[in-house]
Amino acid sequence: MTFFDTVAAEIRKTATLPAAIVALAVTVLGPVAITLINAVGVRAALRSGRPELTAYTSPVEAVFSAVPIGTVGAVVLGVVAVGGEYTTNSARIGGGRQITTTLTATPDRLGVLAAKAVTVVLLVAVAALVVIPASLALAGGIVGTDAPPAPEGVLSRSVGAGIYWLLTALIALAVTVFTRNGIVPIIVLVVNSALVSVSVLLSHLTPLARFLPDLAGMSMFAGDLLAFDDALAPVTGGLVMATWTAGLLALASAVFLRRDA
Amino acid sequence: MVLMLSVERLVKRRGSREILTDVTFRAAPGRVTGLLGPNGAGKSSTLRILLGLDRADAGTALVDGQPYRRLRQPLRTVGSMLEGSGAHRSRTARNHLTWMARSNGIPIRRVAEVLDQVGLGAAGGTRVGRFSLGMCQRLGLAAALLGEPRALVLDEPVNGLDPEGIRWIRGLLRGHADAGGTVLLSSHLMREVDEIADDLVVVAHGRVVAAGPIREVTAGYPTLEDAFFALTGPTAGGR
Repeated sequence: MTFFDTVAAEIRKTATLPAAIVALAVTVLGPVAITLINAVGVRAALRSGRPELTAYTSPVEAVFSAVPIGTVGAVVLGVVAVGGEYTTNSARIGGGRQITTTLTATPDRLGVLAAKAVTVVLLVAVAALVVIPASLALAGGIVGTDAPPAPEGVLSRSVGAGIYWLLTALIALAVTVFTRNGIVPIIVLVVNSALVSVSVLLSHLTPLARFLPDLAGMSMFAGDLLAFDDALAPVTGGLVMATWTAGLLALASAVFLRRDA
Repeated sequence: MVLMLSVERLVKRRGSREILTDVTFRAAPGRVTGLLGPNGAGKSSTLRILLGLDRADAGTALVDGQPYRRLRQPLRTVGSMLEGSGAHRSRTARNHLTWMARSNGIPIRRVAEVLDQVGLGAAGGTRVGRFSLGMCQRLGLAAALLGEPRALVLDEPVNGLDPEGIRWIRGLLRGHADAGGTVLLSSHLMREVDEIADDLVVVAHGRVVAAGPIREVTAGYPTLEDAFFALTGPTAGGR
């Protein structure tokens, strides 16, 4: 049994799980849809001669302010990759969980977790490579010639948004190893990334909040959209978020190795 | 070709409670070994440790002299079935077996073969959540057979099967043992074990209270049932 076999099995396993397909669809279609709405608003404001009606007039910002919805998809994907293992079947069909099958097929637990991480990274990376360029093209096309000149750093912010999704998905995966249940991490992480960011709220209390994984990571793509004064520089923010991710994955591995299945 | 399953002085604690105490037995090739005991006796815990899912606090559980966790492509050596189908409910039976095959380098054609073998040939595209209990048991067996393993480790395999299914699995396990394979199954159903097993390991309260060829274990009792209650009852002292 090679690590390649384990990864191939995990990719097949994830790709045949309806919840994972929904998550991927949200990651791809969500940002495109929000970009569309944002861009139409920007165009309307520009054409009516009242650009002050919108927070920004650049089609690029219409894309980057749509990133959080893609984060939701990435979170769900990371959660279901692990949570699916612990979904308990009803007693009517004999109970049981998939984790017993997974670990009897592949007793190398670190290999299983690593293969899950690789699977999630691959799927999110492919989604990001499709959706971010597509959204930029869409927004540019809608706002058209009315748009102000493109700001600098669109490429690095695009890469940053993709990395933000990847790291968020991995954090979701690690957290689900601790909870062995997808529901709590999905609710907490989706609310935090799409509705009310606990970290943003904390940033009003202490400047240390900028070192929390989501706020640190957002500096990779958010630019002036971040409603926060002393945000970290993009590269620093990315490194801080990556450190959080690595730490949580290491902790998750230690727990997964020692715990009874 | 022969493969021995051996469990030596296993101890397992959950919190302060000892759920397995010095559990020792062997399952030999060419024989069906029945792990018999009331619910909660420690049968599933023993099998989970043997399969590397749970850790023992002391003792060893070995497959051909090595821990399960060290097997390469374990599905090709030991086929197992624990609680239920072991499949996620929103996946189809075929998709479940396909990822399993992929993980152990088993040819994908085996998926269709085992589905046919267990009588689920027409249900491969159905989501597991829509299966009946009996179909889930059959899927669990299909998963166990997938890698053409020499040993089968099955937890309560007849649970949920109809009489025809029980008869079928009896034939299947007998055939596997007669071909030189090793079969270890657990059950709390005495009649089933009586009809299937060559060797018996009787457990109660986390201890082995009797082990050996079925005729030796039941010697001196009119039926296996009498032997079972005498061995596992509140006044049992083991032998």
